[in-house]
Amino acid sequence: MKEQGYLALVLHSHLPFVRHPEAEHFLEERWFFEALTETYLPLLERLQRLANDKVPFRLTMSFTPTLLAMFSDLFLQSRYVRHIESLIELAEKEIWRTRWQPPFHRLALLYHHRFTTARQLFVDVYRRNLTQPFRELADRGVLEPIASCATHGFLPLMDYQRVAVRAQVLLGVQAFEQAFGRRPVGLWLPECGYHPEHDRILKEAGVRYFLADAHGILFGSPRPKYGVYAPVFCKSGIAAFGRDLESSKSVWSAIEGYPGDFDYREFYRDIGFDLDHDYVRPYINGDGTRVNTGIKYYRITGKTDDKQPYDPDRALEKASVHAANFMFNREKQFEYLRSCMDRAPLVVSPYDTELLGHWWFEGPDWLELLIRKVHFDQKTFRLISPMDYLQLHTRNQVVQPCMSSWGYQGYNEVWLNGSNDWLYRHLHKMVERMVELAKQHPHAAGLRRRALNQLARELVLAQASDWAFILKTQTHTAYAYRRIRDHLHRFSHLSDAITRNAVDEAWLAELEATDNLFPFLDYRLYAPTNGA
Amino acid sequence: MVKDPWWLYAYWEIQPAVEREVRNQLAPGEFSGLQSVLRVYDVTGREFPRQAANAWFDTPLSGLANNWYIHVNAPNHSFVAEIGLLTKASRFLALARSNQVTTPRFGPSEEIDEEWMTTEEDYWKLFGVTAGVGMGSSPSGLKELMERKLFSPGAFSPGLFSPVKRPQAQPFWLAVDTELIVYGATDPKAAVTVQGQAIKPKADGTFSVRMALPEGTQTIPVEATSPDGQETRTISPAVTRQTEPQKAEGRKQQAAGSRQKAETSQ
Repeated sequence: MKEQGYLALVLHSHLPFVRHPEAEHFLEERWFFEALTETYLPLLERLQRLANDKVPFRLTMSFTPTLLAMFSDLFLQSRYVRHIESLIELAEKEIWRTRWQPPFHRLALLYHHRFTTARQLFVDVYRRNLTQPFRELADRGVLEPIASCATHGFLPLMDYQRVAVRAQVLLGVQAFEQAFGRRPVGLWLPECGYHPEHDRILKEAGVRYFLADAHGILFGSPRPKYGVYAPVFCKSGIAAFGRDLESSKSVWSAIEGYPGDFDYREFYRDIGFDLDHDYVRPYINGDGTRVNTGIKYYRITGKTDDKQPYDPDRALEKASVHAANFMFNREKQFEYLRSCMDRAPLVVSPYDTELLGHWWFEGPDWLELLIRKVHFDQKTFRLISPMDYLQLHTRNQVVQPCMSSWGYQGYNEVWLNGSNDWLYRHLHKMVERMVELAKQHPHAAGLRRRALNQLARELVLAQASDWAFILKTQTHTAYAYRRIRDHLHRFSHLSDAITRNAVDEAWLAELEATDNLFPFLDYRLYAPTNGA
Repeated sequence: MVKDPWWLYAYWEIQPAVEREVRNQLAPGEFSGLQSVLRVYDVTGREFPRQAANAWFDTPLSGLANNWYIHVNAPNHSFVAEIGLLTKASRFLALARSNQVTTPRFGPSEEIDEEWMTTEEDYWKLFGVTAGVGMGSSPSGLKELMERKLFSPGAFSPGLFSPVKRPQAQPFWLAVDTELIVYGATDPKAAVTVQGQAIKPKADGTFSVRMALPEGTQTIPVEATSPDGQETRTISPAVTRQTEPQKAEGRKQQAAGSRQKAETSQ
């Protein structure tokens, strides 16, 4: 029996570019280390296991250039090794410390095993650069990698200066090509932030599709016949896929969704906070502030502060139940949709990759179990990528999607409100300056060329939507302020120096060594000759 | 800039020279009652300023503001704003004009494609499935949900996700735990075990283990075997932890009484 529908699982992988060689320890670098330990390494392990077991599946993953840059950065690679070795040491101490507490002792052994596995995979198997194993999974045909914007800039708020939108997109595609050795077929718009006509820019970049939030498609014009259950073509010919909220809810919802289950690991009980300060001090942030170590001993238990020890067997059982539940719900969904549609529906379920593992510890296991069950336990649907669906259904309705995002309230509010609106006059000014200078120096060479390229780097780093987001959510705001200030200041200083023809080579070299992503960046992106 | 279907955001910076020049155009009598305003033009379907706007409205600004949120309350419309001075006699002198923006739609389009025909019922059926309100919900119910803005776009998105953390507000509390450090020294090349588990002495022959100490008694035999394997030495300290029930004094003593009971029954 032929399948009734298709499920496209899409994982969006992103981290802002955080790299601080000037400090011995830097708190925000831990974001990257945690993501490697808790999300990317466990995910790779499971995806490769599936591929080796010859379980057929298709998974789509987007990669931002900032994350790819960090994967390949030698300095961060060795910092990670230092980090994971320190965690291994801590886990060894924990094995001793919990010797008289069997439920915790067991977990200490488990963490020790996870950390040593992570180190072994990272150093010996993947040779410290995670781009390689992802690329290999793509070559094996189980992964469809897609691109994302240079520094995850939020495009709808950049529309005022389309040249800036274009630069974010083109740089993102270039970075992808460098890492994966092929053109990306799709592009993940940061925060699913779509603005009309940006699809034309995607077309120029050679990208075939993007994803939008449900209402971006549902409120599109004319009305989409298949809702979000089939892609639509923009007038430019680029396809837009809409997010299915039904499948999102069961995973994303912190209250009703799977991750909140009482058997799963409690995020907020970490030994970095729970244990004696002297004991944990060598393993937390350099200045002694308590941070998460990743060693957590409790399960959510309930709406109570009295948390019970985590039971990994029960948690894995639950993950299996939830995988079966997700699959069952999709089957019911496809059966219903099939009765409303005259073609096989596509359900698109995008998630932040970090949800699996970092926020929801059991996530990667859930995913692996889901993929196995989809293949072995049912025949109603199978996993595909958005591109696969386009190849099965070449004819689709032409609809103009509306401006939208998957941020809270569905539009631009998260990145434009009292906490962060002041940013934009600065960002717009910077783009203005950049365009001016790029036009003034169409054939720069030597030092000036280097300076102009670095200027563009500072610009895109300032444009990262992460800063506005952090200011809105009020966590790590000091860091966001610092980054904005740093990039604004470096830009301003550098643009002055270029104008006065007085670029200090030593200072420039320092900048190039610190903000060192996009070695291939060409400042002339900001002076397009064919009009953007 | 557009914030959502109902709100715009504007920022500005006026050069003093420009402001002076415009003010010079004012008649002496016009200074009293002069206001700073944002004039917002609805230019949907128009080529402004060549063609006149469909409508406009003024928002008075407080003197030193350099940015403003404008409530246009009109999805799928285009706008241009001008910042300027408004005299008491309603003469408007513009200082600067903005770029044009268009608010997004909120709600289904009125346009239906003949080739990809869809009925109201079909549309809302599929809307319902994705809105997560379940399959088979009534189309009219969904439409109402949406019109009353109960359908929240950006629902179940990462911006909202973080594991649920219980708020800290709770009555006065105290938590205490104990750990034990067992440490010693021997020949650096000796083989040492603590309760049967091997531990490697440091280069100077010292060793140390730190363990959580639960209720009850622990006997901790520490055994060292000489490098040539011929001799052993064993020392076995015994440690007991016995916690008395928690005492609470002061305001909430009644409530603490019951907690106390819970402690002792452990």
